Formats: sequence, structure tokens, C-alpha cells
Amino acid sequence: MTSPAVAVEIESVGLVFGAQTDAPTVALQDVSCRFEPGKVTALIGPSGCGKSTLLQIARGFLNPTQGRLRFVEIASGTETSRPAMATVWQAFNLFPWLTVLENVAFGLDLAGVPRVERDARARKAIAAVDLNGFENRFPRQLSGGMRQRVGIARALVMEPDVLLLDEPFGALDAQTRLVLQEQLSKLVETSGTTAILVTHSIEEAILLADRIIVMTARPGRVCDQIDVSLPRPRSLATTHEPQYAVLFDRIYGMLRDEVMRAMIIESEGA
Amino acid sequence: MTPGIEPKPRWVWYDDERVLGWGSVILVIVVWELAARISGVSPLYLPRPTQIVVSLIDMFRNGALIVDLGWTLWRIFAGFGLAVVIGTGLGIWIATSFRVRAIADMFIAMLYPLPKVTLIPLLVIWLGTGGPFMLTISFLGAIFPIVINTVLGVRQCDPGLVLAARDLGASAQQIVRRVLLPSAIPSIFAGIRLGLGVSIILVVAAEMVVGKLGLGARLYLSGQILETEQVFAVLIVLATLGIVVTKTQDFIDKKLGRWRLA
Repeated sequence: MTSPAVAVEIESVGLVFGAQTDAPTVALQDVSCRFEPGKVTALIGPSGCGKSTLLQIARGFLNPTQGRLRFVEIASGTETSRPAMATVWQAFNLFPWLTVLENVAFGLDLAGVPRVERDARARKAIAAVDLNGFENRFPRQLSGGMRQRVGIARALVMEPDVLLLDEPFGALDAQTRLVLQEQLSKLVETSGTTAILVTHSIEEAILLADRIIVMTARPGRVCDQIDVSLPRPRSLATTHEPQYAVLFDRIYGMLRDEVMRAMIIESEGA
Repeated sequence: MTPGIEPKPRWVWYDDERVLGWGSVILVIVVWELAARISGVSPLYLPRPTQIVVSLIDMFRNGALIVDLGWTLWRIFAGFGLAVVIGTGLGIWIATSFRVRAIADMFIAMLYPLPKVTLIPLLVIWLGTGGPFMLTISFLGAIFPIVINTVLGVRQCDPGLVLAARDLGASAQQIVRRVLLPSAIPSIFAGIRLGLGVSIILVVAAEMVVGKLGLGARLYLSGQILETEQVFAVLIVLATLGIVVTKTQDFIDKKLGRWRLA
């Protein structure tokens, strides 16, 4: 986070799977958006709209078939190299043969950080997600919510310039989700990191994000971009604000149309 | 194991695992001893357990059996050890490279189902009956299960874990060493277990055919001269070897598989 502020720009990106086959799938079409440094941007849309795919493109694990990805230094406006990124996964993707501490320290270990420093930083990250005392447990011994907290600690310990959240709470029950949303929103606020959150929960998007990008059903395009100006820190109480209800209804209205469209596309495709 | 919540039942001998297991073995031996004594069957066909034990102790005392055991163990583990190292490496290579897999698939399909004892005549022609022959036969026994299980284990690795490691900055080599290999460990161990079993069978069989030293050779020669007690004594040593190997593997498996059981 010592590096200068860098925005991630998606420039008219398109992605076609199986372009050479008879039935190519257009996953993304002419998507342009910008992820501002120090802000949380949520990508929301019906399932199959390509929001996770867009995240993989931003991470560099997938190459778009059209358009491009740019990293722009805010101060100078010039293009720069890829900022440090770390991902929190829907399926947690913890290494089952490593303890909590070893999982969190994994990235630092790969980078050759000496053991003492590595362990100290990992312990600090574990404490930040309230998992003190669980350092030597294995992932199987933890509940789903605790596992995802390990996943968050494993990403944050890398001190990424950009934090990628791929439906981080999608696999958790509703109560655990609420608690973790609050916790994550606090962590992101205090760390000041840029975050891209893929979700299909409107509530999650409003509670965590500064800006919400609503995507259309396949082929995924940007439907609308909405700024969330609700005051921080946000919590469950935020959901009782009148402004929250207005935002929620507005996004739900857009999503409902798209979900209906997605259902029709799916039934035709089947 | 009884779960802690249940009241502990009163101990009765016929519910104890160890009493039942060991007890039945002892019972068979006692019945054998008595039946052999009463019927007066010739020890040439069926020696009494006491005679076998005497013969076993004799063979250990004069050192012959120790030397044989040493030779057999050396032959098994030299080839097997080589197979573990080469087999795991080869397995990872096959699993991670499409081209290598395409090539290896054919050879494995041809050679794996072939009973390895059928290779003994050819190997004797090429290598004679000495150390290189024994090393090769033991190696051939172990390598196939190890390679096949390593390939399976690596291929079954959760792609999400590979992605997570890449995300955390892992190089291709680090992904192999830090993700694919550890996630394949249970499967590799299953292969090692199978491989060692085949190695033991092949080395003892090879010793029976060509050897002058080793448990297999001792077994065969004792049979030739109708020293039936000695035949049984060697069988007991082989059975004990089997138990030690199996239990050791169980122990290592448990240690390595801590995260799987938890």
C-alpha cells in the first residue's frame, strides 16, 4: 500500500468462449468500467452474467478476446504495471494440509519472507479477523464462517493494492454472512485498499461498496453504475435508513428485469 | 472406540478386540499342536508348532536366517526405494504435461497389466541372477502402482487450490511442490503401499527361482529336501515381515494424514 494510487480500467472488454465452435458463448460484451483506488466497487448481476469472469480478467488469469485492461496511476495519469492483487474465494480454497497459520503465511513464504517476520505478520492478520487461538487448527476443524475469515486474512496479509472478493460469503448461511459483512467492511475501511466485490446480494453490495456496477444478463454488459453515499461505518443499522431502501429498490428493479431475461435465455438454451 | 457419551460397558473378554484376535490365533496353534500329537501325522507333512519354533530358533541362532532376511530386505527396499523416488517424479511429470501423458499412457496400458513374474526369464537373460536383476525386479514391481496413483492424485487436485496459489504469487514450480504434491500425498501413499506389496512378492518369487541366498531361496531349498519345519519357519518370518510393513505404513499414513482425519 506504499505504492502510488492506481486505478484499474476495463476498456470495452469482450470475452467469447469457444469462438471457433458452432455455438460460441458471448460471456462479456463491450464492458467498460473503472475501479478507483481506495474505493470498494461492487459488481452485481444475475448468475451467469460474467461478473466472476470479469474479476478473473482483472486478476490477469483470463485474457479478454476484445478490449483491454489498463492500470492508471492517478497522480500522473500514466499507464503503469499491474498493482499487487489478492483474492478471497467463494469456495475458500484453503490448503487442507496446512494449519490456519501456515495457510495465512503461505503467500509470504512463497515470496521468501523470513520465518520470524512471516509468522508475526500472519498472526497479526489472524488477530484482525478474530481467530486468535486457532492458529494451529486445520481448515476441516473450522466452521464455514471461520474458514472464510482465514481466507480474508490470507489475502490481507499480502497487503494487496487491490483486494478481489469473488462472492466471498456466497457459501455461508445468512447469519454468518451478516456478521462477516460488517467485519469485512471494517477491515476494508481501515486498510484503505481498493476492493472489487463480486456478489449477487444487493444488501452486501450496498453495505460494502462505494459504487455499484449493475450488469445485465448474458452477454454481460454494464447496465448502470450507482454511487453509494451512505455514511460509514455501515452496519446492520444502515439497512434501516430511508436512503438504503431507495437504493435497494432501484437496484432490485434493474436486477429483476435482468434475472427474468436470464431465466428466459437459460430455458431457451436448454 | 466407544464415544465418550455412552456409559462405559463392563469389560467382558468376548467383547475385547485383542482377546478375540490373539486368542483365536493361540487357539488354532493349540488345536494344531494337539491334533498333530494325537493323530501322529508325520512331521514331514505337518510338523507341530513346537517343532517349528525350535527350528526357527535354531535357524536364527546359527545366523543363516538373519543373513537370508538381510539379503531379501536389501533387495526389496533398494528397488522399492528407487521406485518411490522415480515413480513419484515420473507421476508428477505425466500428470502435469499433456505430451508426456499421451506417451506414457500407451506404455502403462501395455506394461501395467502384465504379470511381472513373466519378466523373470527375460531379465535373467539380460542381467543374470545377481544384484542388478533383483534390483530391477523389485523396482518393476513397485513403480507401476506408484506412478499410476501419483498421476491420479495430482490430477484430482482441486483446481481452486492451484488458482489460490497462483493468486498468492506461486511460480509453476512452487505450484507443483507446494500444492500438487501435498494434495496428492494420500493417493501417492496408497500407491506406495500397493507397490511395496508387489515388490515383496516379486523378490521372494525371484529368489525361489534363481537365488542361492534370501528367504525365497531358503524356502525353496528347504522344500526340496523336505525340511518342512524350516519351510514353516521361513513362512513365519515372511508373515511377520508383512505385519511389520503394514503396521509401519499405517502409522506413517496416520501421521501424514492428520489433516484428513481431523
